[in-house]
Amino acid sequence: MTQEYIYAKLQGILAQIKPKMDPAKVSMDASLTTDLAIDSLSTLLLSLAIEHEFNIVFESQQPFQTVREVVEYIQQHVKE
Amino acid sequence: MSNYFYDMIPAEELAQLHYLPTVPEYLDWITTKWADRPALSDTVNTFTYKEMASRIARRRTLYKEAGLQPGDNVAIFEKNSIDAVESFLAVTSAGLVAVMLPAQLPAPAVIGCCAKFRAKALIVRDEFRAAVEGAPCPKIASSAFGEAETPAAKVDKDAPAAIFFTGGTTGAPKGAILPHRALMRGAYNGVFAPGSQLFGHVTIGFLPLTHVFGLIAGTLAKLMVGALWYPAEDMKATIGKLPQIRPTVLVLVPGLVEVLVGLTKMYGPQFLGGRLKTIIAGAANVPAKLIEEFEKFGTHVLAGYGMTEGANLTSGNAESAERPTSVGKVYPEQEVKLVDGEIWFRGDNVFLGYYGDPEQTAATLTPDGWLKTGDLGRFDEDGYLYIVGRIKNLIVLPNGENVSPESIEEPFYQCPALRDCLVKEVEDGGQPVLAVEILPRAEAFEGKTPAEIEAFFKQLTEQVNAKLPTTHRISKVVIRTEDFKRTGSMKVSRKDN
Repeated sequence: MTQEYIYAKLQGILAQIKPKMDPAKVSMDASLTTDLAIDSLSTLLLSLAIEHEFNIVFESQQPFQTVREVVEYIQQHVKE
Repeated sequence: MSNYFYDMIPAEELAQLHYLPTVPEYLDWITTKWADRPALSDTVNTFTYKEMASRIARRRTLYKEAGLQPGDNVAIFEKNSIDAVESFLAVTSAGLVAVMLPAQLPAPAVIGCCAKFRAKALIVRDEFRAAVEGAPCPKIASSAFGEAETPAAKVDKDAPAAIFFTGGTTGAPKGAILPHRALMRGAYNGVFAPGSQLFGHVTIGFLPLTHVFGLIAGTLAKLMVGALWYPAEDMKATIGKLPQIRPTVLVLVPGLVEVLVGLTKMYGPQFLGGRLKTIIAGAANVPAKLIEEFEKFGTHVLAGYGMTEGANLTSGNAESAERPTSVGKVYPEQEVKLVDGEIWFRGDNVFLGYYGDPEQTAATLTPDGWLKTGDLGRFDEDGYLYIVGRIKNLIVLPNGENVSPESIEEPFYQCPALRDCLVKEVEDGGQPVLAVEILPRAEAFEGKTPAEIEAFFKQLTEQVNAKLPTTHRISKVVIRTEDFKRTGSMKVSRKDN
């Protein structure tokens, strides 16, 4: 699964969780907290949606800072 | 006697329900009536009510062998689990008093609590045990069983059954002692919900068993009606199992309701199993938006009102969609009155007092059994109760008038762009003035500058002020960029902000 595909799918998930967010803000280097305003409730929702869409399980509380780190984690753990 | 709750349930189902005032009587009744139904499951192991009765009886044997005597305090330090539920029922049906220690307590606090509550034993989860070996009492593994079965004790309905921590939003934590009759009245009240079957539910223990809402409404009430109960040891993992568990009723705090409604909007009701009819929400203010959103998917979110000292549920609202700001009507077999605006309750559900704190007990409980809630309330013409504020939070204005900050905050909460707010008195130019601190919903202000956000909330404040008496008006607006400090149940803490 390419990073481009994962990134596009992640943008789709974020657009649903944060419908009023400007999609242009979701760059690979965007910070989850300061740029995308992902708080603790949104983190739980986002991680559940990612697990569902990519059929993976986050091992524990992952200290992700940016969209890129999430994309890379998914790429490493997704089963093709 | 109120018929509001009784009328929610078909008469033939209501006739099968019994309020039994002690845990041993309740346990005997549920394990006889629902004997072969599944009671507790962690998706790997499932135990029927009959099997649960036997496992609890074998746990009582351990307590007897440890020399525990009726009336002894026994601390329980566990996560939400089958072992936690069975240990609680075993302790209380043996006539012992369960001291419910929150799973997030650091080890030194657990050791301190065992000393403070003079615990004669500590029932502890295996993975927690090494850290609390220093506790000044024998440890019993929560996973352990005796060989033989020991029958339940005979207990008085007024005897202490459990001690819960309370008092997080305004003061130091206290240990509220609940008698058997209070636990059982709370459990009985917790079964009423409109538009849903009474029996045969499937539910999940998401809220801590160390909180009355999780234990009494979320667990004891559900077992009373023969439900199958799953523990949520891990929140995220359990939500992921919802399509497999397929709950029919859940007891939740508003934050979790928000997550579940988000998942439903993205993936449809099937993501939650497709048969969730009722959510009982409480322990914090339930936003009307959540109630409306879930209603579209056929799930009723019902808000209630309660407190630890009243064994949780004292009122419930079956019409949350129509009256979202009300906490409903008062449950049956309780007296309620307003004294200088303060809500007072009396009935089986009222606690015995705070452990080792006669002063606080006397301030909360009158000699003739009234529980002074500390909450200010009002009733509408149809008998629905509304919470107006907390007495302890009253602000004394320079003119000597009292104002409840909650009554001023309430209109702010109608604004969907606001996540939380807090009204308080601050000094401004040497004068005391009322200020509002506002935490915006970040997603509502994408691309907006701080000045634009401030302008939006200043305008909102002017709209709120226009409807307030001049002495109650807000003079200062502070926009927060960081979250408020919160209590364990995620409420905004008035003490720490």
